[in-house]
Amino acid sequence: MLSLEFAIETIDLTKRYGSLTAVDKLNLRVKANTIHGFLGPNGAGKTTTIKILVGLLKPNEGIFKIFGQEAKGDRPDIRLKIGYMPELPKFSKHLTGYELLDIYGEMYGLSKIARKEQTPKLLEMVGLKERGRDRIGKYSKGMQQRLGIAQALINEPELVILDEPSLGLDPVGMVEVRELVKEIAKEGATVFISSHLLHEVQQVCSEITIINRGITLASGSLEEISSKFAKLATIEVEVSEYSDTVVKKLKALPFLTQISVNGKKITIQTEAKEDIRPQVSKTITDSGGIIISMSLKEQSLEDIFIKLVTESEGVKKK
Amino acid sequence: MIKEKEKRSDSKFTIRFVAIVRYELLWNIRKKKFLGMIIVAFALATIALVVPVILSSVRNEPIPQNPDQAITTGLGIGGFGFFLFAVVIAMNSISGEFESGTIVPLLTKPVSRTMIFFGKLFASFLILLTTYVILLCYLSIGSIVVYGPQNNLHLLPLSLIGSIISTFIWVSMILAIGTLSKSSMIAALAAFGTWMGLGIASGIVSLTTEQAWVLNFLPGSGALGSLDSFGSLSTGTDSIASNLITIVLNPSANVTYYRMSFRPPYTRILLYTEPLLNVLARSIGVAVAYILLFMFVSWFALKRAEVVE
Repeated sequence: MLSLEFAIETIDLTKRYGSLTAVDKLNLRVKANTIHGFLGPNGAGKTTTIKILVGLLKPNEGIFKIFGQEAKGDRPDIRLKIGYMPELPKFSKHLTGYELLDIYGEMYGLSKIARKEQTPKLLEMVGLKERGRDRIGKYSKGMQQRLGIAQALINEPELVILDEPSLGLDPVGMVEVRELVKEIAKEGATVFISSHLLHEVQQVCSEITIINRGITLASGSLEEISSKFAKLATIEVEVSEYSDTVVKKLKALPFLTQISVNGKKITIQTEAKEDIRPQVSKTITDSGGIIISMSLKEQSLEDIFIKLVTESEGVKKK
Repeated sequence: MIKEKEKRSDSKFTIRFVAIVRYELLWNIRKKKFLGMIIVAFALATIALVVPVILSSVRNEPIPQNPDQAITTGLGIGGFGFFLFAVVIAMNSISGEFESGTIVPLLTKPVSRTMIFFGKLFASFLILLTTYVILLCYLSIGSIVVYGPQNNLHLLPLSLIGSIISTFIWVSMILAIGTLSKSSMIAALAAFGTWMGLGIASGIVSLTTEQAWVLNFLPGSGALGSLDSFGSLSTGTDSIASNLITIVLNPSANVTYYRMSFRPPYTRILLYTEPLLNVLARSIGVAVAYILLFMFVSWFALKRAEVVE
């Protein structure tokens, strides 16, 4: 395993299609031996960035490095370290799943012995053992997706790039993919996973990069991003009956950003880093109010994502 | 984990090239249109062999013995056959990968685009070679069975080489158009239009003008000439196989070109005469030049291609 700090590093990476800038001076850093999520809405530039990384597209400006090696032009030596699963992968329908993995293994320079060992293992891992001898033309979308994952792992790569791996999979398949991703990372590979499914990213990734319109909006560990961007927490309190005094006292609290009342329900927003529920509770009871229930809702990754994306689109969040 | 060195093949270049060839071969030979083409070619060859048998049986006459049947028939598929084989083999080879999206996993494997291109080309060559060898053997055995013992069977490899060169002009042209347009349909239609246009033009130009020599620098049937006392002969790239055999059998043969006179007394007007050796050398040179040109265009287009979709 390489000891280089970054598996992927892009410097001012830019890709334009005519007047449209799909990737705009993107500076991306993916630490080695991590599971790095690449988040962004549709059309954010995720797939374009990935296609540049695997050599399908040429950047107009900027450079990118894979394990410290600058990749320019047709570089099979760099692709040797990468296992890539495209978004909705398509394979030659005339081949069987087994033949495809065997041929791809051959392209990675694997010997016959290695391929014989690796191919059935991978087919079993993705649940295609029974269908390995069937032509790919007879596979469902989900099966092709699984085969896509298997072919990305044929050479036991140091860097695995998965572009929307859960697309087209049923809920069980999605869970299996998540487990598989964790398993790959456990074996020591770096996993770079592009997705628009926030919960998926949240469950498997230790680091994330959020992009929109080809620009990095945020990057770092989940904790770093949460502490940096999740400024608001919401406390929802249900009281036994509405009281002006309670609301007045609550409004006087220094850490409150916003307070709204809807019948017996009081919603408080705060930027305070610490848990302020005890103070809220004390204020209500001291003012003669009776608390029925109280819950704290911190900003999720989804909230942060939506906030960042809408801000980048120039739309003010309400 | 397969990280140990011994699990990697020592000759990585060979193993990777073989992988591309295998990928292309499996893809090609399982295509319905390829199987259909093979069936049609063998069906036509069988009909050609069986018809004289049926006719002589109907006429109650013995089948005429022809010791030159195999050598003069060759593959028996002619210019259009070469073109059709080329279309079937090459129309999907690169453009089909772009159309179906299979180019994405292929180009992201650790094989250079140059290797992919030449691997595919080599696979096409192997398919063509195998098909033509089988077809040639089938026709030769059939000729022996139907027309009796055959002369000059040792010259059949020349027929094979010539036919492959003739077919490869169209293969490389279709590959080039397909790689540039990324559309199999455009590749097939453009090549068909070229083949058709050249076919029609060569007939008209040969018979009516004095500029027939131009046709000798284009792919296809070329100018129409007369071979001493042996009858008419096509001088273009489609006729390399038959001209190769003719030159071996008649090394000093000459080709004479005429044009038709459309005024009384409506006779042929002699244009010029040249040795068959010249005709053959030129047609091979022209064929090789076109093959190299189209191959270069195709390779360059693949090298530069970006996969946007």
